[in-house]
Amino acid sequence: MTDQPRLAVDALVDDLRAWLPTQRWFAAKGQDLTDVRVTRAAELVTGDPGLVHALVLAGGEVYQVLVGLRAELPEHLAPAAIGEVDGLHAYDATHDGELMTGLGDLIAGNADTGGLSFRAEPGVEVPAGLRARPIGVEQSNTSIVFAEQYILKLFRRPAPGPNRDVELHRALHAAGSQQIAAPVGTVAAGETVLGFAQRFLGDAAEGWATATASVRDLLAEGDLYAREVGGDFAGEAARLGAAVAAVHADLAATLGTEVIGAERMSEAVAAMHGRLDEVLAEVPELAEHETALRAAFDAVRGLDDGILVQHVHGDLHLGQVLRTTAGWVLIDFEGEPAVSPRERALTRSPLRDVAGMLRSFDYAALHLVAGAEPDHQRAARAAEWSDRNRTAFCDGYAAVGPDPRAAAVLLRAFELDKAVYEVRYEHRNRPDWVAIPLAAIKRAT
Amino acid sequence: MTVDNRDLHETGDAAPDAALGLEGIPHTGESLTADGHLVEPQAEDFASARAVPQDTQWYKSAVFYEVLVRAFNDSDGNGTGDLRGLADKLDYLQWLGVDCLWLPPFYASPLRDGGYDISDFRAVLPEFGTVDDFVHLLNEAHKRGIRVITDLVLNHTSDAHPWFQESRNHPDGPYGDFYVWSDTDEAYPEARIIFVDTETSNWTYDPVRGQFYWHRFFSHQPDLNYENTEVQEAMLDVLRFWLDIGIDGFRLDAVPYLFEEEGTNCENLPRTHEFLKTCRKVVDDEYPGRVLLAEANQWPADVVEYFGDPEVGGDECHMAFHFPLMPRIFMAVRRESRFPISEILAQTPAIPDGAQWGIFLRNHDELTLEMVTDDERDYMYAEYAKDPRMKANIGIRRRLAPLLDNDRNQQELFTAMLLSLPGSPVLYYGDEIGMGDNIWLGDRDAVRTPMQWSPDRNAGFSRCDPGRLYLPTIADPVYGFQAVNVEAHMNNTSSLLHWTRRMLQVRTEHPAFGKGDFTELGSSNPSVLAYLRRHVTETVTDDGAVVVTEDRVICVNNLSRFPQPVELHLSEHEGRIPVELTGGVRFPAIGELPYLLTLPGHGFYWFQITDPQEEGEPQ
Repeated sequence: MTDQPRLAVDALVDDLRAWLPTQRWFAAKGQDLTDVRVTRAAELVTGDPGLVHALVLAGGEVYQVLVGLRAELPEHLAPAAIGEVDGLHAYDATHDGELMTGLGDLIAGNADTGGLSFRAEPGVEVPAGLRARPIGVEQSNTSIVFAEQYILKLFRRPAPGPNRDVELHRALHAAGSQQIAAPVGTVAAGETVLGFAQRFLGDAAEGWATATASVRDLLAEGDLYAREVGGDFAGEAARLGAAVAAVHADLAATLGTEVIGAERMSEAVAAMHGRLDEVLAEVPELAEHETALRAAFDAVRGLDDGILVQHVHGDLHLGQVLRTTAGWVLIDFEGEPAVSPRERALTRSPLRDVAGMLRSFDYAALHLVAGAEPDHQRAARAAEWSDRNRTAFCDGYAAVGPDPRAAAVLLRAFELDKAVYEVRYEHRNRPDWVAIPLAAIKRAT
Repeated sequence: MTVDNRDLHETGDAAPDAALGLEGIPHTGESLTADGHLVEPQAEDFASARAVPQDTQWYKSAVFYEVLVRAFNDSDGNGTGDLRGLADKLDYLQWLGVDCLWLPPFYASPLRDGGYDISDFRAVLPEFGTVDDFVHLLNEAHKRGIRVITDLVLNHTSDAHPWFQESRNHPDGPYGDFYVWSDTDEAYPEARIIFVDTETSNWTYDPVRGQFYWHRFFSHQPDLNYENTEVQEAMLDVLRFWLDIGIDGFRLDAVPYLFEEEGTNCENLPRTHEFLKTCRKVVDDEYPGRVLLAEANQWPADVVEYFGDPEVGGDECHMAFHFPLMPRIFMAVRRESRFPISEILAQTPAIPDGAQWGIFLRNHDELTLEMVTDDERDYMYAEYAKDPRMKANIGIRRRLAPLLDNDRNQQELFTAMLLSLPGSPVLYYGDEIGMGDNIWLGDRDAVRTPMQWSPDRNAGFSRCDPGRLYLPTIADPVYGFQAVNVEAHMNNTSSLLHWTRRMLQVRTEHPAFGKGDFTELGSSNPSVLAYLRRHVTETVTDDGAVVVTEDRVICVNNLSRFPQPVELHLSEHEGRIPVELTGGVRFPAIGELPYLLTLPGHGFYWFQITDPQEEGEPQ
């Protein structure tokens, strides 16, 4: 390996400084980017087009950038342009099917190149030469689908150390879980996981889209109850509850559980109060609920029996579940994006996931009426949908695991904690929607 | 039309041919041979119909049309449709574009189970006509390229059948062992009772013979004893009788129940399959090109057994009905979710090369809910049978149009799916004009009312006094024959009838629909069901070159009542052009990126995927 690639990307630093902040996965939006450095670069594909893999430090974060190099930039790649280097066009190579096919071939060949290790999971045969196509960009990843067979998720902000998403998927796969997309392979630089390939679920529809189709159907009726309309979602919600419970059971069986005592519970309660303090300072509408919220959090301290904790999904909502022809599948076990990797790795009560999903049902129900002229009829229908599907979800969960409603104090505290977080998010981003979490807080307190 | 034949039970020495009004026409049991066998009519006694062009795989791409003889057209003015009346309407059916008629049983019968209680396999129910009339119908149909199949009940006969009369009266005679007799009613306890509304046991005591007889259906339908090889031979001869006359095949009714075996549920037993293999061999050896269609109301994974050995392309039935698909289509549209359909198709196993599914939206039976889970059944009842009278047995007795609230868009969407999902579609008479039903009629008669031909008296079905009709015509203001009839639909080129005809034409032009493989195209929109049908044909030219032609059709269905966008991943067809099949409009070329389509509520598209071609006038 020569220094060529490193030099090539170094020459691109000014262009990257301009380009990075325009990317959806760029974290430090609005910051002044003075320090942009290439920390490692490796040439993965030589020739034209060429592919250089780079890690770029910008604004204190490390980003994974795949740079494509071509003498002529085809029209469909023009939007991916980063800049020019040595008379070549440099661009975001994840948009280039040809180069990505080459990347996939490295996994297929279990290659070690440029200090990166490409590995198929044990026992998995990955075919080479698969047609690659980029799909939608997410908050922190870029995903590429290979011939409808597997999907490679490239972590744009890779963190050193074990990768939770990979570890939990492996554990679940080892347990024979049917509620995940089976792991296919990884890309890593030493201890840092850069990419994770999983079986592609081509027939999948997102939980959010599936749930909101049902809500639209209900709201179009107006004079029918949620249980009466054709688009009733309760059956799906129950199956989803069962799927989540099965994942929890598998994670508990392979990675273990423990019961935490008063001390750690107290820490958790303190953290909830801490979050509430921050949001109260920012959102005055929340003040009227402060007493009730604090009482709900403090009630957790009174639980004598301790709390069962284990590895959980950590960021569960309708956007993290897919309906496939074979049933519901949970995706993205990376954990809550807003917290540090250390915190994400902690074991938690599985009721955190349940609370996340219950809040998500509320969002799915109410987002169509939020921000509109108040309409009592529609609001009542939406609330009915939320109640019906939250109940069905818990019923389905209880058919496989313990009934989450049996731990009412804890579940309520988790839901409210989540709602407090939502209040801040909506206050900052979508003021029209702040009514959704506020209404939930009002109902529960 | 129920005929009380109780007197047959009581009089031990009634003539074996006491079966109903067949005096003067050839029938079973006119006399007995010296050894006590019944003399039965033979095919040579009748003319036989002309043959249709040879194509032994015709059923794989055929459009079937189920027509009740009684309900279609009355030629003699007695208020009941008949075979000659049906023959008079073949021009209409040819115009519509159907390939094969399926006639429910028209045999001599006491009609206590809609003709499925057959009292003579070799005679036609007199009110429908005669065997000669059937030959006439077959001839006229074949002349128009239309085939005809009919139901044949292998499992049982009517208790009025001379075989049964002989069997109960002469236990030691040649027919003594034709039925399943027992001294007790205790055998085969694990066999479920099918008609739970009316029957409490699968055994009924016969006072004449002093024994119990076995029946999986009604107590007036004793099961034939297939352990007895003479029964097997007798039924094979029944097949031959009609095949010699020229019929194109049979829908074999209630096939899973032919044999009984202690310790089983008496369904799908290996020996039942063996007998079907024998039937198939008779067809293949003696009557190639004729078909056997199994009616086995079971899960697809079990039904595929009735196609026989996949290694040889199937050696039992050529076709079988796919029952669970139909309620799932209804459920998917009501839920605005593709998953009820996707799931059942994913659970449907591959079938042998020579086999084909029969699929349908509605037929003369109720909308069957046996193939849905209890939860789903409650849901279907709630959605589609808001009035309890609409429920019958374990199903819903409605026609397509009223099931869909007479919504034209939905009727088109449902029909488009019927014509494009894997399997040969079976249309039900009257649904092509959106006929209604009459839920106040008893049993399953709600959906068996006279075909509506015109706004004239009796809907143009019969010249009789309206009071003499076998069932009243539909007369309500929405579905009544004054508004909904063939004549009115013919005169309006935007009618459902014309639309249906056009769709059948399009289907005929594309072998992918009938013979192509099926691949579901997933998308992130749960309300859109999209799939690819692809058929590759290899033809050898005169100079020996092999030409491969590929017919690729993509079908996209919006199951939601709201407009929907969908992004389909079609990049394997990159550079090709989708051409919409009903209008021929060329859509933008498929590129590297997902292909975006927008669909109106309950809208659908059929696209042929074509190679790019220069368009427009010469440059």
